[in-house]
Amino acid sequence: MKVLLVEDEAGLRQTVTESLRQAGYVVEVSANFAQAHEKITLYRYDCVLLDLTLPDGDGLDLLRALKAEQSPAGVLVLTARDGLDDRVRGLDLGADDYLVKPFHLSELNARVRAIIRRRQFQGQHHLVFRDLLVWPEQNEVLVRGEPLVLTRKEYDMLLYFLANPGRVLTKEAIAEHLSGDQVDAADSLDLIYTHLKNLRKKLQDKGANNYIRTLYGIGYKLSTSD
Amino acid sequence: MNLLTATTRYYLLLAAALFGLVSGLLCWGLQRALRHEADEQLRNEQVYVSRLAATGRGLPPTLLAYQLDRSWQPRPLGLRDTVLLDSLEYEWVPFRQLTFRVPAQAGSPPEWLTLRKSLVETRDLLRVVLGIMLAGLVLLLLGVVALNAWLARRLWQPFQHTLAQLRAYDLHQHQALALPRAPITEFAELNQALNQLSERLVADYESLRQFTENAAHEIQTPLAIIQAQLEQLLQTPALADDEAALTLVSELLHTTRRLSRLHQSLTLLSRLENRQFASSQAVPVQLEQVVRDRLAQLEPLLDARNLHLAVATSPALPPRLLHPGLADSLVQNLLQNAIRHNLPGGEIQVSLTSDMLEVSNTGPAVVGDPARFFERFRKHNAASDSPGLGLSIVQHICAYYGFRVAYEYRADPARHTLRVTFA
Repeated sequence: MKVLLVEDEAGLRQTVTESLRQAGYVVEVSANFAQAHEKITLYRYDCVLLDLTLPDGDGLDLLRALKAEQSPAGVLVLTARDGLDDRVRGLDLGADDYLVKPFHLSELNARVRAIIRRRQFQGQHHLVFRDLLVWPEQNEVLVRGEPLVLTRKEYDMLLYFLANPGRVLTKEAIAEHLSGDQVDAADSLDLIYTHLKNLRKKLQDKGANNYIRTLYGIGYKLSTSD
Repeated sequence: MNLLTATTRYYLLLAAALFGLVSGLLCWGLQRALRHEADEQLRNEQVYVSRLAATGRGLPPTLLAYQLDRSWQPRPLGLRDTVLLDSLEYEWVPFRQLTFRVPAQAGSPPEWLTLRKSLVETRDLLRVVLGIMLAGLVLLLLGVVALNAWLARRLWQPFQHTLAQLRAYDLHQHQALALPRAPITEFAELNQALNQLSERLVADYESLRQFTENAAHEIQTPLAIIQAQLEQLLQTPALADDEAALTLVSELLHTTRRLSRLHQSLTLLSRLENRQFASSQAVPVQLEQVVRDRLAQLEPLLDARNLHLAVATSPALPPRLLHPGLADSLVQNLLQNAIRHNLPGGEIQVSLTSDMLEVSNTGPAVVGDPARFFERFRKHNAASDSPGLGLSIVQHICAYYGFRVAYEYRADPARHTLRVTFA
């Protein structure tokens, strides 16, 4: 899957690119408006990650250009403006989602994956991970063919892990993903602990052992192998 | 009391005092002059009568006895005031009299003569003069009052205009005052000074706004880079088996998040202080829904800390016109505060009515001035991760919308209540 990252900050561009490549995406980058505009007119992408403030133009104009061409690409806006800012609320222009800087890379992976899934497969997409088979559009999880019944939060958490296989996820990142908002570090474990414990237990009951590893004091990781 | 009333009052006081003084002087002066005149006339008459008596032919009889009173008994000599009864009008009338002795003549004993002049004209004259003066004073005073009333309407009109403009002035429209040149020098200078002041204000406000905006935007970018790179570092295989290094990186990541949150809170506070949320951004917000959403989000936290929650909302609450982000922040900070400063197994009560939102919670007793809880970086527990800005944000949002926020503490069992009263 092809992703275009439009970001003028070199440090962020490199790191995000690396993280996306690790997650299995083909990543192209643009550091400015002109370059990005050329790329979106020439090539097809599954998802465009768009920084709004570019040295030579407004990221929103790129968004308009994409919409004008009826591009199938999903758009995830990266912005330093928070939800209290009007511009973020003005994203009804057609962006699929937005992420406020600074963000968790694991959150970025999850959002990109969700956007591509929604945009391209129209429910025909499924996820396979070890013994798990997930139909995201039907909210259905099977372990070796047997259905796994999860609560909303447990399901969200599992999808978040599946979007970041093998990555170390901090408690804070998981808690913020589940609550959809910023979370104090002191509260993060309390916010996720019960859901995590139940998810693990349900997986184990179906024979899916050692899927979620604990890194004590740091966070969790979805193991790619036994 | 307005300025004109005040000045008019002083004018009137001065005019009345001066009138009193002048009237007194006039009375005294007139009386003195007239009496002097009467004395002179009496002395002239004395000379005439004395000469007449010296001829020895005797004094002619007078028509009016009181004008020349003759006596053979000794009387006190000299000029004196006296009063005589006017038998016609039956009232006492003031007189000036001069008594002198006519020496004995051949065939007649010495005689004492008293000459009198009526002073009643003097009194009448004084009355007329004072009456005219009083009338003049009343006219003058009425004139002053009327003139001032007219001036208030006409001359002060530019001032009233300036005042109205100042009252309606809103810095957030980024427009300097454009007060007109007034015809009166003082007002023209005032308008000019105000225009300059507002230009400076607009410039300062603009630079502050830009700074806040830049700070909000530009600082988040390096923070985003640090966070992303630390998160990538956490994934490197070399760290997988190095627990110490892993912990260190995760601590760094955690501190970066903290810094970012702190920065966002401070930015929010300064945007609130600079009133950078335009009223056009306000939408009808169902506070009840905001409270429910937030509570649903915090539910795992309540469960984990074994906190009992009681929510009471009045039915059919009308929506409030608020900035959705601020409404959310207000509710979130109040709830967060109630959870953070609670005891394990404690309680939280949330009540929402059409005119107030109240969050109360059990918690350890606190010492110190409740007013200081709203101060920035006020921490109950120094080791806490929270920057201690929550209540400060609550206070600023309330101030922004004109809500009142009050803290109340009740002991036994210790219960803290924060009440936001909508204006």
